Amino acid sequence: MMMANDIRPEPTPKTRERLLDVKGLTIEIETRNGPATIVDGIDLHVDKGETLGIVGESGCGKSLTMLSMMRLLPNKIRVTKGEANFAGRDLQKMSNSDLRKVRGGEVGFIFQDPMTSLNPVMRIGQQLAEPLIYHRGMSKAEARKRSGELLKLVGIPGAEDRLDAYPHELSGGMRQRVMIAIGLACNPQLLIADEPTTALDVTIQAQIVDLVKDLRDKLGMSVVWITHDLALIAGLVDRINVLYAGTVVEDAPVDALFANPSHPYTQGLLASIPKLTDERSTRLSSIGGTPPEPGRRPTGCPFAPRCPLAESICHERVPSLEGVSQGGAHRVACFVAQRKLEAA
Amino acid sequence: MSVVPMTSTPIEIEPPVSLWRDAWHRLRRNRLAVFGLAVAVILAFTALFGPYLTPYDFLSQDLNSRNLAPSLSHLFGTDDLGRDVFSRVIYGTRTAFLVAIVVTFIAVLIGVTLGALAGFFGGWLDRIVMWLTDMTMSIPNLLLVVVINASLKSPISMWMESRYLATLNPFYRETIWVDFLLVFGSMALISWPPYARLVRAQVLSIRSRPYITAAQALGLTNRIILMRYVVPNALGPLIVAVSAGLGTAMVLESAFSFLGVGVNPPTPSWGNMISDGLRVWQHYPHLLAAPAAVLGLASVAFSFLGDGLNDALNPRGAK
Repeated sequence: MMMANDIRPEPTPKTRERLLDVKGLTIEIETRNGPATIVDGIDLHVDKGETLGIVGESGCGKSLTMLSMMRLLPNKIRVTKGEANFAGRDLQKMSNSDLRKVRGGEVGFIFQDPMTSLNPVMRIGQQLAEPLIYHRGMSKAEARKRSGELLKLVGIPGAEDRLDAYPHELSGGMRQRVMIAIGLACNPQLLIADEPTTALDVTIQAQIVDLVKDLRDKLGMSVVWITHDLALIAGLVDRINVLYAGTVVEDAPVDALFANPSHPYTQGLLASIPKLTDERSTRLSSIGGTPPEPGRRPTGCPFAPRCPLAESICHERVPSLEGVSQGGAHRVACFVAQRKLEAA
Repeated sequence: MSVVPMTSTPIEIEPPVSLWRDAWHRLRRNRLAVFGLAVAVILAFTALFGPYLTPYDFLSQDLNSRNLAPSLSHLFGTDDLGRDVFSRVIYGTRTAFLVAIVVTFIAVLIGVTLGALAGFFGGWLDRIVMWLTDMTMSIPNLLLVVVINASLKSPISMWMESRYLATLNPFYRETIWVDFLLVFGSMALISWPPYARLVRAQVLSIRSRPYITAAQALGLTNRIILMRYVVPNALGPLIVAVSAGLGTAMVLESAFSFLGVGVNPPTPSWGNMISDGLRVWQHYPHLLAAPAAVLGLASVAFSFLGDGLNDALNPRGAK
């Protein structure tokens, strides 16, 4: 279980306990031309009580990584290598019945689209009660009572009366709150939020972020928040992993990432966020090119073809994630950035 | 909590509206559907309370009043044995409903179970179910019923007779239910494939909806997901199919009885009444008209009801 970064001094004085530890997870999709790799040996971890942000553009494998951990992948997409340890147990090797206890019981999920992630023909009270009855063995009456409390907890006005509502009677923001309540129903140790605010407008987004932050502090759980919006989660997460083409290219405490983005891709992402202080005529900066398609990954660094700093080594070898500063807590997978920091 | 509450004053919440209530509101605005529903309800009521509604016994013959034209004492006249046609049509309604409901129920049960399992689990299970479906659909329904009648009816009757002689148990003397058993059985055997296909197609599309993944992420078992998430969402089109299927089953029962392979006389069925009436229709048209009109009415009513339900349950597809 020794990993390279375990040898280095930890950023915080007390040794933190790993809750989730994903190692070398590889995901392939079956295509007409044979299997194509979508996620290539990804490593990531979440400590107890920590909030991790996973950032990357569409199609980089953010959601798939989280779904594959819980073995929720659609047909034709498979995990071919690697392990995902949750509280010391490998979720990939677990029996289906054990896994069901983890799903919803110890790990809560909040999905991207609140409009379609609730069963349209079931009252929301029943949907909330389902995990409580199943995982906590509550009676229907107990589950209903607790469901009412949960709706209150996520700030739904008239909570108890809303239990009998159908999903279509609620607004998007309300439904997302219901989804959060369902995810939290069994007091999970880990909450995985997969772009929970993409379908919502900006004011509701902020409310949802605040809500999750609040509940995390209250309930003391770990959170993984997947998003493509760096600015949204800046105030929420402790640490950010930047994903590109199915690999982690930069792993840094949130402040370090914003203060000193090291990977050219991270720099590009941050530069593309519009600022209020910009002149109106300023063009938004963007990263040229498109990410590699699955099955057509370049031999070296996957970002090299789009990278403004790429050197010849970048096209030949794949850089590994190495600590650059913060006592090794800030790690980057880039030859140029690593050399620059060694020199400094 | 730092979250801003939406309002601080108590808000009024409308009573929840379920999909079904919503559909009911739309159905009520469709005149043809209301007509279909009304006819279906009247026929169902007639079938249910038939014995209390008939002015005469459907079997009692009155040879002094044969082939009477419709009148106040015999609404639909009498047949060649002097039996009251109105009473016989009412009993025919019982037969038609009994057959239609039992057959559709069995067919839906088989079809929904097989279709849902095939669609949800896919793989070899799906392949086997689809083979079964295709195989069953390739059997000509009339031929199957004729074959079953020809091959099974007399052995079963003979076996029952021998049991009766051996035990003197009156149960074995009654052979009417053998007719029903054969008609129900053979019709149910050929009626389930459309339901299986429909449900499978529904389940295939529902299986990939986000709320199914969400339910899996909650750790629910496949059984609960199938029963509470998948099947209820596939119900809309199924209800439409069942409504139309009831009408079809009635017509099918009449067709079999008309050809003499369904319900046999003296049990009244619209089909065998039409068949009897056809021989003498030039002289006594009411003997053909009465059962034929009721059969037509029932068929049209269920068809209208099915269309209306379709529009009510899929409002986006409606004009």
